[in-house]
Amino acid sequence: MTSATARIGAGPAVRRPRRRRRLVAWLFIAPLAIVNLLVIGGPGLSSLLFSFTDWDGLGQANFVGIDNYVELFQSPNVLAAIWHNLLWTLFFLIVPISMALLGAFLLSRLRRGQVLFRTLYFIPYVLATIVSATVWRQILSPDAGIGAALANLGFDGLAGVNFLGDPSLALGSVAFVNNWQWWGFLLVLFLAAMQGVNPALYEAARLDGANAWREFWHITLPGIRPTLMFLVLMTVIWSFLVFDYVYILTQGGPAGSSDVLATVLYRTAFSEQRAGYASAMAMLLSSISAVVVAGYLILRKKLDWDV
Amino acid sequence: MHQKSKRWGAAVALIAAGGLLAGCASSGSSGDVTYWSAFVSKDTERYYQEHYVDAFNEQSDDAKVKMEVKQLQNLGSLTDTAVSAGRGADVVYSAGPSSALGFASAKRIDALDDYAAEYGWADKLQPWAYQASQVDGTLYSVPVEYGSIVMYYNPGVFEEHGWTVPTTLAEFEKVATEAQAAGMMPVGAGNSGYQAQSEWYLSAFLNMAVGPEKLYQALTGEAKFTDPEFVDAITLFQQQIDKKWWGGGKDRWFTNTDTDLFTGLADGTVAMYITGTWSFGDAGRYFGEAAGNDAEWDWAPLPSLSDDVAPGVYPMAIGTSLSVNSASKQADAAAEYIDFVIDDPARSYDYLAATGQNPPPLSDLASMPDTVDERSARLYTEAPESGNLGYASWTFFPAATDTYLWSEFDKIITGDLTPQAYLEGLQKVFDGELAAGKVITPFEPVPGA
Repeated sequence: MTSATARIGAGPAVRRPRRRRRLVAWLFIAPLAIVNLLVIGGPGLSSLLFSFTDWDGLGQANFVGIDNYVELFQSPNVLAAIWHNLLWTLFFLIVPISMALLGAFLLSRLRRGQVLFRTLYFIPYVLATIVSATVWRQILSPDAGIGAALANLGFDGLAGVNFLGDPSLALGSVAFVNNWQWWGFLLVLFLAAMQGVNPALYEAARLDGANAWREFWHITLPGIRPTLMFLVLMTVIWSFLVFDYVYILTQGGPAGSSDVLATVLYRTAFSEQRAGYASAMAMLLSSISAVVVAGYLILRKKLDWDV
Repeated sequence: MHQKSKRWGAAVALIAAGGLLAGCASSGSSGDVTYWSAFVSKDTERYYQEHYVDAFNEQSDDAKVKMEVKQLQNLGSLTDTAVSAGRGADVVYSAGPSSALGFASAKRIDALDDYAAEYGWADKLQPWAYQASQVDGTLYSVPVEYGSIVMYYNPGVFEEHGWTVPTTLAEFEKVATEAQAAGMMPVGAGNSGYQAQSEWYLSAFLNMAVGPEKLYQALTGEAKFTDPEFVDAITLFQQQIDKKWWGGGKDRWFTNTDTDLFTGLADGTVAMYITGTWSFGDAGRYFGEAAGNDAEWDWAPLPSLSDDVAPGVYPMAIGTSLSVNSASKQADAAAEYIDFVIDDPARSYDYLAATGQNPPPLSDLASMPDTVDERSARLYTEAPESGNLGYASWTFFPAATDTYLWSEFDKIITGDLTPQAYLEGLQKVFDGELAAGKVITPFEPVPGA
């Protein structure tokens, strides 16, 4: 009875601060939640609705069922763009991440000059995309770019190579330029993560006779796994959203050889004025990102990852 | 006191928020007529502000125009977004009658027939432009800038090689063959930096090889883009590109820029350049003293590339049309300003003389002052008088058809698409837009002009 009375008596007193704390937490979250609801939820929902219409961006939107989605998966241009996005993803999962991991590991072993290199590698990332893309367009020009300059010096291996104007080279060339800006950013993130790995582990490994490769494989990689996995996830998502470099350098050409979903979407919405069909493409892009995130969450749960 | 200050704070925040929202609705005061525009240079903007906006405001007792300058690249998309949301400026910009048709179909712009009658626009404008600006017989936009596609050439280079300006397919092929033999690019072409640039050449080629009459039939649904005339034209174009006559072929097409081609015309590495008359204003940058050479440029109307097409066709293009926003509370004043823009031929031609900006398609051709560059004056008098008027794709083709025209044409250049397949795709897209009422009624061509 006494304890029950005490419990009953103590209940509201305990619950009140907890409720207040919860209320305060909600108050903190509320502005962001409202903004998200307005700027993401609202347009997202309207895009979903418009994706089932023939809306031209101005007039009346007529319901067309799943026609836009059927057209989407029958369009050679859209399918080609998806393929280019997949190639882009593969490139960015391998090249910049490998370069950044290697660079960060080597830099982490430097005792002097690390800040200098870190800054140098990071500089491209802070340049405006339009600036770096314009500079690279000049560098890759067959008339005034690196090929012509080398040819003047007697090295004509790249003479006349039309990096952005040759359909077989355009996508790779744009990816190369984007990587030039991107990998330094990854390097800085990996380096920061590596500096959080317990140094005692490296000392113990060296005492056991481990070489640099073994240190990297058995200590560094597991040590930065949360960062690595997060960046892999984001790389996949960003690779499907890529737009700026492609649009500035090639606009998806020549002959659609560097088209990605975002450039096709842009052209469809603003040039063809088919906002309904473009909304279906946007839904496809969002779905891809959602599937990637869901897959990641499932894997994380199954493998019991600590990120 | 504490509660009081809180209340004051809330009141100030509310007023600020209200002000912000009001700012979104209109950036001018309640009596202003708002107008969004964009210019190729600051000098042109200053000239327009002084001679149009300020001049209108001085002579108007009640209406005042407030111009907001946007970026040239996104004026169209900004306007589309705002107007589709029932906002935007009182005087609505559109990139020609096809764009205005979208606004008209969505009832975002007002019918202008009453204003047209009041201000006599049918008399002030050239008939083809007035007709093209109507939707089902109702005027919805007023064309305020027009131009065409012509053949630029360097008279010194032509004289040096003993060429005359080609007017027929045989003459065109002769110049192209000889130019190529001389190591030149026979016809400038390319789309680096602006993918849709291909349609400048494609529009020209269709007008030269298919002709206005057949194009008119296709645009009105009487003929198909898959008809033999179109297939033959695209096949001929593809063959000429394969011969590296246009832009140096597929190896160079995607690398050449407009600047490269004008530079080539000036230094004698490009023999002919077929492009829009919007370049009249800045072609001087590449020629003569300004460019450090003694080269000159001139233009000629397009040659005929078919026995069925009369030489000297001018594909007509309306670059800018103005309409009255249906959400405007200043509709009468907006229409008054639109009339001001086209009312005085001398003002329009002075603007052309001072800045090189395309004038409105005015029926008054006699007021062209001597201060206008002779080449511009020749264009704006000869083209309307010739009657041999064709159709620029970006003015007369609906949006999706036009986009297909230039985006898929890349595949004709690379050889990934046959002319037949390309035109079947074009017809399919056009059929959809024609059925949806998205095609403007083109002006009727003059037979055999």
